[in-house]
Amino acid sequence: MRTLRLLAFSWLLHFKMLSQSAFDGFLAILWPLFFATVAFFMFRHGHRSGALGPVALGAAVMGVWTATSVSASSALQRERRMGTLELLVASPTNLAFVLLPVTLATSTIGLYCIVATLIWARVLFGIHVPVEHPLPFALGILGIVVTIGSLGFLMAVAFVRSRRAWAIGALTEYPIWLVCGFLVPISLLPGWVRPISWALGPTWGMRAIHAGAFGGPAWADAGVCFALALCYVAAGALLLGRMVDGARRAATLSLT
Amino acid sequence: MKGLRVFFVGGYISYRALFGFLSPWVFVPTLVLTPIFQILLFAYIGRAAGARSDEFYVIGNAMQYASVPCLFAMTQTIADERFWQTLGPILISPAGRLPMFLGRALPVIANGLFVAAFSLFAGGLLLGVHLSGAEWLRLAPVLLVATFSCTGLGLINAALGLRIRETAVLSNVFVGILLVFCGANIAVDSLPAWMGHVGRALPLTHGIEAARDVARGASLHAVRGLVATEALIGILYGVVGFGLIRWFELQSRRLATLERV
Amino acid sequence: MPVIEAIELRRTYRTTTGVIRRRPLEVEAVRGISFAVEQGELFGLLGPNGAGKTTTIKMLITLLLPTGGEARVLGLDVVDRAREVRKRIGYVFGGDRGLYERLSARDNLRYFAELYGVSGKAQRTRIDEVLELVGLKGREQERVEGYSRGMRQRLHIARGILHDPEVVFLDEPTIGVDPVGARELRQTISDLIAAGKTVLLTTHYMFEADALCDRIAVIAKGQIVGEGTPAALKAGVAEGRVTEIEVFGVDEGTLSRLRVLDGVTAVTVEERDQKQLLVVQSDADREPTAVLLAQLDGFEVGRVSSREPTLEDAYVALVGAGE
Repeated sequence: MRTLRLLAFSWLLHFKMLSQSAFDGFLAILWPLFFATVAFFMFRHGHRSGALGPVALGAAVMGVWTATSVSASSALQRERRMGTLELLVASPTNLAFVLLPVTLATSTIGLYCIVATLIWARVLFGIHVPVEHPLPFALGILGIVVTIGSLGFLMAVAFVRSRRAWAIGALTEYPIWLVCGFLVPISLLPGWVRPISWALGPTWGMRAIHAGAFGGPAWADAGVCFALALCYVAAGALLLGRMVDGARRAATLSLT
Repeated sequence: MKGLRVFFVGGYISYRALFGFLSPWVFVPTLVLTPIFQILLFAYIGRAAGARSDEFYVIGNAMQYASVPCLFAMTQTIADERFWQTLGPILISPAGRLPMFLGRALPVIANGLFVAAFSLFAGGLLLGVHLSGAEWLRLAPVLLVATFSCTGLGLINAALGLRIRETAVLSNVFVGILLVFCGANIAVDSLPAWMGHVGRALPLTHGIEAARDVARGASLHAVRGLVATEALIGILYGVVGFGLIRWFELQSRRLATLERV
Repeated sequence: MPVIEAIELRRTYRTTTGVIRRRPLEVEAVRGISFAVEQGELFGLLGPNGAGKTTTIKMLITLLLPTGGEARVLGLDVVDRAREVRKRIGYVFGGDRGLYERLSARDNLRYFAELYGVSGKAQRTRIDEVLELVGLKGREQERVEGYSRGMRQRLHIARGILHDPEVVFLDEPTIGVDPVGARELRQTISDLIAAGKTVLLTTHYMFEADALCDRIAVIAKGQIVGEGTPAALKAGVAEGRVTEIEVFGVDEGTLSRLRVLDGVTAVTVEERDQKQLLVVQSDADREPTAVLLAQLDGFEVGRVSSREPTLEDAYVALVGAGE
């Protein structure tokens, strides 16, 4: 119970801080809009277009990854720079519970992106996204925020030693967009890429959102999405525990 | 003495502009891998949309991505000059002002050229887009003029960077604008009229068009109009950028404002 | 049972040296430190920069594992029972960092309250209490980025005692704080003792250690070179005397000769613009001035005076002896 309270409070606090940052807040919303605009034009002029609703949805979700990729992977770097990292490690709370709300906050910023993109699509391109089944749709949105936040958590842990973590995070932006089927159907990707797609939570989140908006079974997809999120968190927590122990022994985490 | 300082420090700054994102951990992801990913991304979106050929997207994105080093490296160069306090001396030196500035811009242009050429090659390889040796030979000057032109925009960005705090945000905004307007993924003619006008006033637009023509077999002579326009745009932007830098720098000295580090 | 116990603590760092070919290097930052702190004591770890104070404190607060020896806080081993130790101790360090700039002081405290398990209802009262204690009441809604160094330090202390720990570790808490602010901080630290807590303080300010601490351990180069109450340490050099001589341009060779003179225990040099101030400690039973001046023949000498030793001199003697 206390843990849940901590997670919720911590998440809210970091969300507040990120919202006030020009780079993590403003740019995180604006950047994907450029890509959305290009995508809308491409699909509009393409031969295989049809309705642009799915494109708008895909573009909207792209923003959630943008908000997370750089911000989450450099989360521990930020704490280190602020001098708060050693205080966090010195607290009786497990560092995983401290870090997870931070990355979840970065993906929550993505909600701004979703709203901004859908408004952009509607107002400037006249693209309307129906929401056939609001509940699965909402669940899909929640799922994608949670799974991307969890993936961000895993990345934050994996890159904790690297001072250039942000660059590696930035590197993953386009590949995730491509591989998770936001704008490009997975079926168009080479065969060897598909297992990677299926192993990524955002792929399933996208399917759930799509089903929620346009009809179709969403529950299974949402389920896999959340399950994968859980796996990422578990893996990240395990890895983090080992790293902190190792760091205490060898003074390698350079907490300051 | 000041001359010597400008020379040596200038060399160091130029070095930084060339391998500017100094650490390989930044250079490789940002300037080698990401442009290839961008090419793949848009090529596949193009396939999903049934829009244009892979070649269209390979050329468009390879050249558009050159704007990243052109903008970021140029801004960093000017910021470094400011930091080392060699900017003032360069601006007020009576002789060699222009050559000095060109000297600063050269590594940035080289960086941009490398990024464009390499990602064009690698992206093309991955997608099965082949360009013959002759086509590469004709492409080289087009790429050069395009990156030169984009560096002009980089100078304007650098000037603005002397004044505003969030330079990273501004640079990213320019890169995004170029992505939408310069014809990298949408033919300028297909855009609404006003957007087309904006696009044609920006660097890279004419260069990308020329590069696509050359890749389809056109001779350099056939695209000379486009290349010339691109070069002109570059010079114009460069002049404006230079003027802005001078104005801001001299203003800051007069008003004794911040030595922004 | 002592509240804090360090038994032959050791800490070695493995690092690399050299630019072209990197060779592994082992640096022993802490070389067998032992001390014990009783309940209600204000214990000081005094030493120059790089002596091993911060490394020692980090081992005690479980951020670093010792490479040798043991440490216990409240009877709990810092290695095996780290989590329980963390619940019962507070950690405060000096400097500007360590706070969330964009948040208000209250939000900062609420966050750390959650991390330390200060429960919902008690949280609000407790936060008000600590704000009152450190003198930040009324300014807690402001963002930390607008705080002065002294205010930040007070907020640090507030954060450190939020969960009402029995033991508080302070690492150079007054560093960089203006004199008035520092005095207020020291008062706050004394109040912690009055509240029944045990405090371990590291500092390189001698007067601070002298003023605040019940007992001091002097650390130099990873080892304790002296321990005791401030009075006892001063007494250690009180039998001696201190002679201060102003000279102009004395060289290292002459200084070395002075150091090996019979009866001289330590010589330190303070640079003062054009001249240097030599501070010579010597045994009490001799009048050293003549001998010293003889060695300084050929140099221009200014004022010569002698005085009683202070804790600073004791410190210098101890640290110097460790070299």
